[in-house]
Amino acid sequence: MKNVLIVGIGGQGNVLASRILAQVSSEKGWHVRTAETIGMAQRGGSVASHVRMGDEGEYVYAPLISRGMADVIIALEPGEGFRALPYLSQNGLMVCAQTAIPSVETTLSNKIYDGHPYLDALRWQSPHFLAIDDAKLCEQIGSRKVLNVCMLASAVAASCASVSVSGQSVSKQPFGLGDSITKDDLVHAMHARVKPQYQDLNEKAINAAFAAVRSGDTLCK
Amino acid sequence: MSLHASNSPAPSHVIGDAKGATQRMLLMGNQACAWAALAAGVRVVAGYPGTPSSEVVDTIAQLHRQGIAQGVHVEWSDNEKAALEVLAGASLAGARCLFTCKQMGLNVASDALMSLNYVGIKGGLVLYVADDPGPISSQTEQDTRRYASFAKVPVLDPASPEQLADMVTQAFDVSEKYGAPVIVRPTTRVCHATTFFDVPQQTHAKDPSGFERNSKWVIFPKRAYEAHAEVNERLVHISDELGESGNPIQNVASDASVSAPKLGIVFGGVSSAYACEALRILRQKAQAARRLLPPYKTMQVASPFPFPKKKAAQFLSGLSDVIVFEELDHVIEDSLLQVVGSQHLKANIHGKLDHTTQERGENSTDDCLARLAKFLGVEGLVESASAPKDAAPSAGPTAQANLESQADLKPPMRPPVLCAGCPHRGSFYAVKKALGRRTPAVWCGDIGCYTLGNAKPLDAVDTCLCMGGGITMAQGFATADPQKKALAFVGDSTFFASGMTGIANAVYNQHDITVFVLDNSTTAMTGGQPHPGTGQTLMGPKSAPIQIARVLRALGVRCITQANPLYLSQSVQAAKIALDFDGPSAVIFKAPCAQYVKREPACVVDPQRCIGCRVCITTIGCPAISMRADGTCVQIDANQCTGCGLCTDVCPHQALSTACRERGVIPFKDERSIDTASDPRVFVEDGEVR
Repeated sequence: MKNVLIVGIGGQGNVLASRILAQVSSEKGWHVRTAETIGMAQRGGSVASHVRMGDEGEYVYAPLISRGMADVIIALEPGEGFRALPYLSQNGLMVCAQTAIPSVETTLSNKIYDGHPYLDALRWQSPHFLAIDDAKLCEQIGSRKVLNVCMLASAVAASCASVSVSGQSVSKQPFGLGDSITKDDLVHAMHARVKPQYQDLNEKAINAAFAAVRSGDTLCK
Repeated sequence: MSLHASNSPAPSHVIGDAKGATQRMLLMGNQACAWAALAAGVRVVAGYPGTPSSEVVDTIAQLHRQGIAQGVHVEWSDNEKAALEVLAGASLAGARCLFTCKQMGLNVASDALMSLNYVGIKGGLVLYVADDPGPISSQTEQDTRRYASFAKVPVLDPASPEQLADMVTQAFDVSEKYGAPVIVRPTTRVCHATTFFDVPQQTHAKDPSGFERNSKWVIFPKRAYEAHAEVNERLVHISDELGESGNPIQNVASDASVSAPKLGIVFGGVSSAYACEALRILRQKAQAARRLLPPYKTMQVASPFPFPKKKAAQFLSGLSDVIVFEELDHVIEDSLLQVVGSQHLKANIHGKLDHTTQERGENSTDDCLARLAKFLGVEGLVESASAPKDAAPSAGPTAQANLESQADLKPPMRPPVLCAGCPHRGSFYAVKKALGRRTPAVWCGDIGCYTLGNAKPLDAVDTCLCMGGGITMAQGFATADPQKKALAFVGDSTFFASGMTGIANAVYNQHDITVFVLDNSTTAMTGGQPHPGTGQTLMGPKSAPIQIARVLRALGVRCITQANPLYLSQSVQAAKIALDFDGPSAVIFKAPCAQYVKREPACVVDPQRCIGCRVCITTIGCPAISMRADGTCVQIDANQCTGCGLCTDVCPHQALSTACRERGVIPFKDERSIDTASDPRVFVEDGEVR
């Protein structure tokens, strides 16, 4: 079983990311369930998409991931990554976009919303952690609309990468998605889930994210 | 149809006739319901939007547009009652019919449902009523299974989208066979969970046989007495068919290998999935710890009403203790207690009533795991798992210090808010300005996105009750607390669904209220469905939009004003005229929902002019506006900003500007906006409606 939790703020496009992963599962013949946040919470609130993949031929009963059971958490915003931390497994991978999105609550109480304390906490408390300089990456691709796919690709790349993560030594034990999903799987599934006119842009996003993670480029810290 | 098919499950589930050509699709539960109903030959589909049910009708409409769903009529009705009545007629004409709503929608349609079950139906009639444990997007945690037993209507309760699809198919057959409406009651986590399905390339509605006169279609007291006997009689047969005949929905995960268990686990709905998942985790943990779980057996109750009493009695026989997992009310638990009592069985039933399980809110795998571990006497297996997590790989003294300094860190508060560019923001703020600080008022809200106007800084909702209830509640306030201005805020879709009767009441009984119609030309909260005010239908041809101003005028409202809520001074003016009017008055604030516009260029901050006074933040609270980290001036998040321009009207230093305001162009301008050149007085006293 592989459990992936994608968290962010309503409107960031985490539903598409979860559906691309579901598509990958289908093409591999795995049983899969996803669950999304739909309704009132979508209006600028915290949202989470759960993806549960029976990669070893298991049947998936529940649509939601239990606490401490997420192999990967993809956070589209640092504060939301921190909120989701209790879901991360003991050998889990947290991949987090660095751009902080202020909450109206903080703005109103005359505080500056700062993502750094959250990123620091994630760095210390996640068994495996990767922060993505999403602003730079999206600028390089030419659109912020592909943040969701960038982050998904980063998580896949970080999982199967044998290069340094968080500047730390290489982990021998498989973590995250392990090598269960490849870049080609992702590209193939993306083509099935994304409208033709946006496929090139999304493929560019996947390639850029993989290149960034694999090279340990300054895009990623 | 079982909850777990086999050890190596198929990656997809078949809807309809598997012999024809199929396509594999990722569907959420609601979409699976749509496909299952179409594959069953549904001819007429009607409902009213409400999370978590809305995607059923949305999907059928889309498949109709694409030419995949042939011969179906699909509509968003004016409200749930109208929808069920449309279907009552269609069913008596022999058409297979599907009704959809959320749990509270059935309250609105209940008048029709109660009698319809006595009258009976001809074409299969399935009511898809989605419950919302939590609640996540609702006012109550009411349980439609209770409605089913109250109305004496059979109800099916799916654990997964796959079961949901199968149950919709089965419900049509049972409904038609017994001439009774049948409810399928999923919950949010089934409605919005997705998995893969194989669906037909095309579906065809069954031709209705046509209406034939029969005295039984007319309900009156003598007939009702006879019909009551028929209702009771058929429930016995339906109970046999759904629960007793070895239907594979029942008793899906029985551990038959274990001899003479004393412990029983019973579940219904999505709790079945949580409990099965938790049992799997427990078995794995037991195996790892080289321990054995005590013998137990399990049963899913898929038809909570009529309850499968015989099957339950068999299951309970020989058991000493049973734990029940279900959400919302203790429906299964009550029925099990009844069976234990009437059969003089020994089993103790544990659940919500004795506080063994959660009395409200959602269940979860975590929750089921902890409670099952206790029930099976193996708490030790799960305690080890919940021990504090090891620190990060490189944890040393520094890491420990970091963890301690992070102990106080809390995730950001991020409740749902009105979107950037939402026209409701301007409407609420204009009314605040028009009233001024000295005029006391009661702000009656209603059901829709605009309930979010309760958040700071707008803080503009004092009450929220039910669909259309704000207009009528305001009349109560006007009567009992006349010192305060009684204000009602209602959305365009809610206005048509159940606001009009309240307006008539205000005019008839001469209540001095002001109604603010927040017209964004869509049913926004549920995903943007059309309504009578838009004229767009799901079948294609457009009707003449029903104009809210004309409705208000026809109902006798003698002061009606209008404004584009993205423009502050005009909106304040329109509100003032109506507030000053003695007697029922109305203001129409009309600009399109920010989710369904092509964005204008984002707002720009002039850092030379912005002094960081925060007026824009503390007045309208747009999520696209925040302070720069250095605190000197505000910044605009161009990813969120729609360029609506409202903030340019509140900035006292002209530091904010938009391209639209600079050029004097109304943002997102089309028929969904009120032209700023229009007179705010649509009709006042003896004038005419424009």
